[in-house]
Order: sequence, then C-alpha cells, then structure tokens
Amino acid sequence: MPDPTPMEIPTMQVACDVNGESFTRDIPVDMPLLEFLRDVLGLTGTKGACLEGECGSCTVLVDGETINSCLMLAAQVNNRSVTTIEGLAAGTELDVIQDSFVATGAAQCGYCTPGLIMSARALLNDQPDISESELLTALEGNICRCTGYASIIEAVKRAHRESQNA
Amino acid sequence: MFHQPMTFEHALDLRSELGTDATVINGGTDVVVAMNHGAIKPTTFIDVSRIKALRGIEKQNGHLIMGAGVTFADLGKMHFRALREASLSVGGPAIRNMGTIGGNIATASPAGDGCVALLAMNAEVQLSSKARGDRWMPLVDYFIDYRKTALADDELIKAVRVHNNPRSRWYKIGKRGAVNISLVCCAISQNENNKTELAFGCVGPIPKVAPKASALLTGETLTPELIDDVANLVTHEVAPIDDQRGTATYRRAMCSTLTKRLLTQLMEDAPKGDADA
Repeated sequence: MPDPTPMEIPTMQVACDVNGESFTRDIPVDMPLLEFLRDVLGLTGTKGACLEGECGSCTVLVDGETINSCLMLAAQVNNRSVTTIEGLAAGTELDVIQDSFVATGAAQCGYCTPGLIMSARALLNDQPDISESELLTALEGNICRCTGYASIIEAVKRAHRESQNA
Repeated sequence: MFHQPMTFEHALDLRSELGTDATVINGGTDVVVAMNHGAIKPTTFIDVSRIKALRGIEKQNGHLIMGAGVTFADLGKMHFRALREASLSVGGPAIRNMGTIGGNIATASPAGDGCVALLAMNAEVQLSSKARGDRWMPLVDYFIDYRKTALADDELIKAVRVHNNPRSRWYKIGKRGAVNISLVCCAISQNENNKTELAFGCVGPIPKVAPKASALLTGETLTPELIDDVANLVTHEVAPIDDQRGTATYRRAMCSTLTKRLLTQLMEDAPKGDADA
C-alpha cells in the first residue's frame, strides 16, 4: 500500500552567488541544484536529461569546478558560487567558447551545448596549455547525439587558440 | 532538516543522535541518483562535504591515509597506479569532482571501482562513532553482502589507508570509452614481500577478493605457467550473475583474461621495481 500521507519535506534557506548575483531563497532540503537553477531562479539554460550523471547536460561550475547539477542538492551550494551558461556572455558579447561553437557549427539540436560549453570553460580556466587527450577527457562526461563530436572538439580547440592569442 | 557540520566531531554527534533517520551525503553521486529514481525519499540529511579534515591525504607509519571525503579527481593524481586508473575510470570529470572514496565504500556497490582497487591493495577502512571512537578494519571484512556492510548505524567512514608502496595494475571492461560502469573490473597489487592480491568488481554481491589465487602467487616469482594456473583458478573464485550489462559466462571468462593480462604486465615490468607503482 502506498503511504497515504506523504512526508512533509522540510525547507531551509539557501544563500548563494549565481553568475555574480547573490540569491537567498527558501527551498525544500531535497531539491537538486538543477531544479533550483531552472525552476526557482528561472535559469533554464542548464538542461537536464538522464538525472543520473551519464549525460552531462546539467553541467555547471561550483566554485570553478564542473559538477552535475542534477546530482548536487541546492542546499549544498549554500555560501558557494555557481556559474551557469547564462553567466558566460558579457551582455551581448559571447564568451570565446560560445563564439567558437557558433563559428564551427558545433550545435545542432543544441540540448547538450550548455553542458559542453561549461565543461570546456572549466578546462580553459584551469590550463593555459592543453593536449588533445586532456581536451577529450574534459569533455568525456558530455554526450552529444547529433554532431559526432568533431565540430565540438574543433570549437573548443578554436576557443583555446583564440584565448591564447587574446 | 539539512545538517551541514563543519567538523567530523559534529557530524558524529548528529549521526549518533539521528542514526538511520538521516541520510549521509557528500558528493551526492549515489544518494541523489537514488532520490531522482524515487528509490529513497530522505527528509533529513547530514552533509559531510564541508568537513575539511575528510579531504586530507597524508603519509603515516608506512601507510598512505586518505580521508573519506577525498574525491576521485584527487585520487586521479595519485602515484598508486591501480587506484589512480580506477579513479580516472569513474564517470566523467564532473562526477570525479563530486564522488568520494568514502562514498564509494559506503555505497558498497559490487561495481565500485575504487573499492576494487583498494581491496587489491589490502586497504583498511576507519569507522568512527561518538560512543566507541575509531576502529580500523580490513576493507575485505567490511563488505558483508549486497550493499550490506559492517558500518554501524551510529558510525561514519573517516578514512581509508593502504601500505605506501605496492606495485599495482587495473583494468575495467565496460560498454563505453567514458562514463563507463564496470561490466567486470580487476585490480592486482604486489607488495615488497612478493605478496600478490587480486580483486574483482561485478562478479558477485560485493567487491570480491580471490584468496586462493593470491595464495598460489604468494612468495612465487611470476612465470607464464604460474600466470596461466592463476588465471584458471580465479574462474572458480568468482560468482558473477547475468544482468543487463553482460552474462555470467562472459564475466567469468573475462576474470581469467584480465588476471592473465595484469599479472603479465607485472611480470614484464618487474625490473623497473617500484618506480611505476
């Protein structure tokens, strides 16, 4: 028999920085970060699909490190700093990785794109020099079902070259 | 309630008070998957991810001690080859930034790559409670049955330790090149006294050692003939099942193949000593 009286989920206050802006919200303690970003803050650039860490479409940065936002609880980012795809462009000026994805045609349906760009962002933030294998490893947690990856890899290489020339 | 203790002592107080009413969470890569699947519906959490003391790696008395909160990304930088390669085979970078060795041991999945590498390295796990303090136990004794462990309801995993310098090898067979759940995996380590341990993942309800194969190897110099004997013997020491990832027959055969492959690597690399351990 299903439980006729579902357990009340306690709430808590979370204060965090998202894309440079401070937010304080009361949320259920069991809310995944993905749901917090999309449904509470309205930042729907971050996608969700598998909800088990297989696809990478929910990738965001927490204190500069890539994480799967479907597997972290929003409560866990209290007093931490989150960067989503919405935090990369400066006004109408795209981040160099976003620009490269446009230039090389690295997006088809586009669903995986925000996650891939965040993984690439973390890679380029961390390392001035990257090898082919480091690049492939950095993107290995992100699945694309359209492109076959060649144009995505080219986009990240181009972004890397552009950032070095900048 | 969402408890976020900053010290291990506070976490032990909470665990002592709340027991199994509270779900212990660190990286969330197992707990939140189970929540997303609807398998568990926790309303009280003890989040141990802010406890800095659990993130340390230190050398002590010939051991390397890793805090339970050390991530797979951290372990991927270590010099222990089996543990490093096992850790880098877990998920993708984001999962490795989140998932911890303590979580891998707590979940106690037969597919726990970190657990298999640690088992081959004769690891010991440190369990702590407010009432009884710390205890070390061999990891092999910690795993009891499918997802059933020696961890008491008031205990938390504090650390895991291995001897400083084993030579070790690792291989995982899965269906993909990355974000790859083990279909079968094998770890082998050899200490300075020529004692060799083998461990396997996904060949039974718990991460599994192969004591008969280890006994056959102990004190012996590796030869192709001995390696063949051991590779045959391990097929009798594992008890895999058919599941959606592969058949028992295939897994059993691969245990033999991986044993032969990894022992042959150890044999051929022997002159290099511990340099690549």
